[in-house]
Amino acid sequence: MSSLALRPCGDFRTSYKQDNTIFETKTIRRMAIIAILVLCTAPLFVDGYVLTLCIQIAYLGIAALGLNILVGYTGQISLGHGAFFGFGAFASAWLNTSFHIPVFLSIPLAGFLTMAVGMMFGLPAARIKGLYLAIATLASQFIIEDFFARADWFSGGSYGAAAEPLTMFGFAFDTDQSFYYVALFALVTMFIWACNLLRSRDGRAFVAIRDHYLSAEIMGIKLNKYRLLSFGISSFYAGIGGALYAHYLGYVSAEGFTIFLSIQFLAMIIIGGLGSVKGTLMGVIFMVFLPEVLESGVSVLKDTDWGNVPMVVDGLAYIKEMAIGLVIIGFLIFEPEGLAHRWAQIKNYWKFYPFSY
Amino acid sequence: MKKTTMKAARQHKILLPTLLATAVLSVSTGASAAESVFVGHLADMSGPTAFIGKVYANGIRDSLAYINANGGINGTTLEYETIDYAYKVPQAIAAYKKWKSRKNMVVMQGWGTADTEALISFVAKDKTPVFSASYSGHLTDPTGKNPNTKKPAPYNFFYGASYSDACRGLVQWAAEDWKAKGTAGKPKFTHIGANHPFPNAPKKACAEYATELGFDVQSPVVVSMKPGDFKAQCLSIKSSGSNYGYIGNLGGSVLSLVKSCNTVGTDIQFMSNIWGGDRKTFAAAGEGIKDYIFPAMTPFWDDSAPGMNLVREISKMSDKSGEKSRLHHYMRGVCSTYFMKEAMEWADANGGITGENVKKGMYAQSNWVPKGLEGVCLAANWTAEDHRGINQVNIYKGNFNGGEVKIDKVTTVTLTRRDDWLGY
Repeated sequence: MSSLALRPCGDFRTSYKQDNTIFETKTIRRMAIIAILVLCTAPLFVDGYVLTLCIQIAYLGIAALGLNILVGYTGQISLGHGAFFGFGAFASAWLNTSFHIPVFLSIPLAGFLTMAVGMMFGLPAARIKGLYLAIATLASQFIIEDFFARADWFSGGSYGAAAEPLTMFGFAFDTDQSFYYVALFALVTMFIWACNLLRSRDGRAFVAIRDHYLSAEIMGIKLNKYRLLSFGISSFYAGIGGALYAHYLGYVSAEGFTIFLSIQFLAMIIIGGLGSVKGTLMGVIFMVFLPEVLESGVSVLKDTDWGNVPMVVDGLAYIKEMAIGLVIIGFLIFEPEGLAHRWAQIKNYWKFYPFSY
Repeated sequence: MKKTTMKAARQHKILLPTLLATAVLSVSTGASAAESVFVGHLADMSGPTAFIGKVYANGIRDSLAYINANGGINGTTLEYETIDYAYKVPQAIAAYKKWKSRKNMVVMQGWGTADTEALISFVAKDKTPVFSASYSGHLTDPTGKNPNTKKPAPYNFFYGASYSDACRGLVQWAAEDWKAKGTAGKPKFTHIGANHPFPNAPKKACAEYATELGFDVQSPVVVSMKPGDFKAQCLSIKSSGSNYGYIGNLGGSVLSLVKSCNTVGTDIQFMSNIWGGDRKTFAAAGEGIKDYIFPAMTPFWDDSAPGMNLVREISKMSDKSGEKSRLHHYMRGVCSTYFMKEAMEWADANGGITGENVKKGMYAQSNWVPKGLEGVCLAANWTAEDHRGINQVNIYKGNFNGGEVKIDKVTTVTLTRRDDWLGY
């Protein structure tokens, strides 16, 4: 639903049903279903390493999608998404260990708890814009981070919190192979949910606020309500992502949920494409695979004679770190609309080949 | 235009992971030779803790290379890979999984709080011993014997006193120091550090012991991990009249703190954590480092312990000239690797080098000093119920006089292995 404008000529829709489909043609829908079925068989073919990366893509992807709803669709900004992700992780572990709520319930509950916290921080944020909003959300990052360190009852303070694996009907999802299905299920559900949200009344209101908040208000959209709702939904997604992360790792420590994680989420959606559901996933895949691909590049070099010469290997380590920054800058300059846009262009090129316009 | 974008998107949202997964799979390499075992090495060489992470990592890397160059583990070569995860948890997890699923990793040498804690559950499930440089007290209870232990860490080992024990040792020294000075009244003790898991790790445990020893424990002073102007914090230390302060931070933050407090004119005896004091830090701080107390688990580069000969040989693996002077964190990396090496040798002789056997190998000896490292590594005692390998704290004093860093040993404190301190 990101593209409500600039339809190509000849693209007519004659009913609301047509206008509201998630999959625009039957072929795409079939392809999507086949792709999911293929993904379901992945554990038979790939090893734990690839599965781990896929699981990472799933929980980071869910959280990044939340941020994209807030930033890409509603036009707000949040620099505290990493903290909300952490809050979800701790909340789920806490609900499970303190109240013995089964994990499959504590994950969505953690989402709602995070949503409540997100909306609390969204309250002032719903009334401010631009740079002020950025700073307000930055504050939420530090407040929540500090909370993790101090609230022993909630996060275990400096000791961290243990998180039980997800169990259903006596079966524990505690291996990469089994948790992969949980992650895949969550990813597909949350992405379909987001697609549905964005073609609903609320989703259209978000887009209207992003495109021109004044016009939106004149049309009768309650700005505060929808900004707050957007914060809530975004935090809900972060909370679900964080909870999955917690139960996958089995242990949550406050170390990981810093401002760097928040910025990484922003980088994911900028690289993938602001205001694009599929772009979010592309961005996450890119950001998860980039360090791994660079790392395997470094490993290839390590197998040569240059191998364990520390100067070479350490130098490469820095290049690897810099490359990530470089890629982000590169995207901002050359592909500001993200991978989603680039993909569309590639697709167009082949669609009209050899007569592209 | 846009319609096709959407189409493409929906379709490829799902297709792309499959493609990428296959792509990565085809790039990957696997298959380890039968004559070698794999040791994974996580290091931070470009992240926020790199300035000490590199020193420690070099100690491990050089040791692994030296072990291989000298016959390996009873003839078995150590295949190893160093991955710089830049202190990022997702990358640490990915590296671990890669090693586990593709290289059949037996043992891992880890680094900091972030990676060690993220992997606690995985390594316990996979039975992979991890030797870390994260000395958190809660890694020392392998069976959950102490009812306060939230999560037993059966496969986590580290060489050195835990953060809590090191702080207890310092407090114990401070109590004696106070008595020796003969000043009247109760000494005051303050915890100084950022509100993060690492500086906070010993906060509660140390404060409790300080109270037990008759200290008047002040409320902790929060100082950012990033260097800055800490005069405000120093003023509150000054006004509280604190006599002993435990520094939980490291590196630049410590420099700023010492400098700010000198400007303000506090009369406090600083005692730092194990990462908070080394030659480089003192040299950078320059004038102003006065009787700075810090713990160490190894001698320093220029000391003449018998084991230092081996350390200097190991150092030549990456420094052919042998002229490079290493910080003492390097020696901790060497010790960590050599305890692992001897446990692997034991495992080799008792049923083969597997994670489970290496863990058992860690319990095989008491008052254990790796061969050739006498005087470098402290005698260690790991047992199946107590992973506090070291219960000794060597206390040193750092000074900067006329352009030269001077480090003197003050004393050695031995802590009792109290049950209520296990895993805490």
